[in-house]
Amino acid sequence: MEKNRSGRRKFISNTITTLAFLFLANTFLLKRLNSKTRPKIVIVGLGIGGATCLQYLNKISNFVDIIVIEKQNVYQTGPLSNLVIGNILQRKDICFKINKKKYKNVKFIFENVKRIDVENKSVVFSKNLKVKFDFLILSPGISYKNDILKGYNVSDKKNIPHCWDGESNITQFKKRLRDLENNSKIIITSPDYPYRCPPAPYERATLIANYQRKLNKKVKILILDSKNSFTKQENYFREWQINFRDEIEWIPRSKGGKVIFYDQKKNLVKNSDGQIFKGDFIHIIPEQKAASIFFDSELLNDGKDWCEINPISFEINRFKDIYAVGDSIDAWAMPKSAFSANSQAKILAINLINKILEKDYIDPVFLNTCYSFSKEDRAFSISAWYRLNMTKDKIISLGSSESNVYANDNDRKLEAQHAIGWYETMVNDLFM
Amino acid sequence: MNKILLYFILFLSSNVFADQDKTINLIVENCKSCHNLNKQVTKKIPDMNNLEKEEFIRLMTKYKNDKDNSVMNRISRVFTDNDILKIADKIYGKK
Repeated sequence: MEKNRSGRRKFISNTITTLAFLFLANTFLLKRLNSKTRPKIVIVGLGIGGATCLQYLNKISNFVDIIVIEKQNVYQTGPLSNLVIGNILQRKDICFKINKKKYKNVKFIFENVKRIDVENKSVVFSKNLKVKFDFLILSPGISYKNDILKGYNVSDKKNIPHCWDGESNITQFKKRLRDLENNSKIIITSPDYPYRCPPAPYERATLIANYQRKLNKKVKILILDSKNSFTKQENYFREWQINFRDEIEWIPRSKGGKVIFYDQKKNLVKNSDGQIFKGDFIHIIPEQKAASIFFDSELLNDGKDWCEINPISFEINRFKDIYAVGDSIDAWAMPKSAFSANSQAKILAINLINKILEKDYIDPVFLNTCYSFSKEDRAFSISAWYRLNMTKDKIISLGSSESNVYANDNDRKLEAQHAIGWYETMVNDLFM
Repeated sequence: MNKILLYFILFLSSNVFADQDKTINLIVENCKSCHNLNKQVTKKIPDMNNLEKEEFIRLMTKYKNDKDNSVMNRISRVFTDNDILKIADKIYGKK
């Protein structure tokens, strides 16, 4: 009875909020639309950032034209992809098609974008077709640096796939992992900051060790790191000590972890001291930069690898009406994570609606929570709130904090549940 | 130097989220990343839809004070009691 009352109250409250929103949107938008045509918003990229923008902008889709451009019609998420590699989930569990019924006023185009024509405010496709925009949101993910590691070419199909985005061949990666013989040596190179999902190389190493053990194979995993420390380090060390003491070894940069040379044929890497490491499975996680569209369209400041934005509107510095969100941006204290992209995209969309409605921007508040697994039923996390600094020109952290290093089995299990729960909620909101 | 000191004191003495209604709205938008506030989509995250407002305030205050480093403890520890009341107002309506 109480639950029914609560539900009814909530329904009435939600209805009033929606009606008030529509009334205000109508009033403000009609005022604007009398003097101008319907604004056209184009979103490039339908990952977590782009899909979140779409979810929020869809609320005003009766009053604006929304076009979404994405190169693939199936999206494979970065989050939980290490669980697929570790054979805990199947690839289909992390692949989604957008539910177009939810976005009936939105036009979807599944095409490759070549570049942005800034002067003519249009998106140019590979076939030289163009789509005009009044407001453009770029959420295209990342690309890779090809000039850091001598001998390594990101697009060489003979390499073990890096599997750092939805395009990489996760099935082939798993097959090569499954085919490894007993007592194999696995080398994983971890990139320097900044890169997508900072704890993921260590989660991947841990879940590979877990998978190999289930296959009754003994392996040695060497993580050669370009850094001297990493996020959630103490929690990982603890998990390795408990579960994978003999399998995983981490070598920081200061002790020779920085790899500068790769020989695919001889299956070896060389570090900056000239020391050679041979492996049966060499997994290079490449150094990263903003997606190529930012470089091809000259949207970055000179010498920059990441896109510089206004932290309130997410408008790209020097480029009016072009916005960027997600892993391609320099978000100051915020890490490149799905949770961050989701949180940033909400602000971008809310403040873009404010701009269209000719209302003031809201000063943002962001949240990030990043979960990592060490086994199917063991996970831990790091969380932080973020806001603007005093001069409102950068995003600062209010202090991040991690799970207890000595958390008990139940706490680890509960965090594993929460991690899956967060994921299920997010993909349900965005794609289903 | 004095100016920097003044900023620092103001920074420490104010609520981290300045307690504005608009900020509270954004905090709630971030809650939605894990807790769907329209329907229950997963049983792996506590459902807030069937909670009473008072129960929500009690739980949030408990999370904040528990100091057990759980996810919710870490997320709620930056809130003042007034923040929690305003978040509850936003989610469950004012009585």
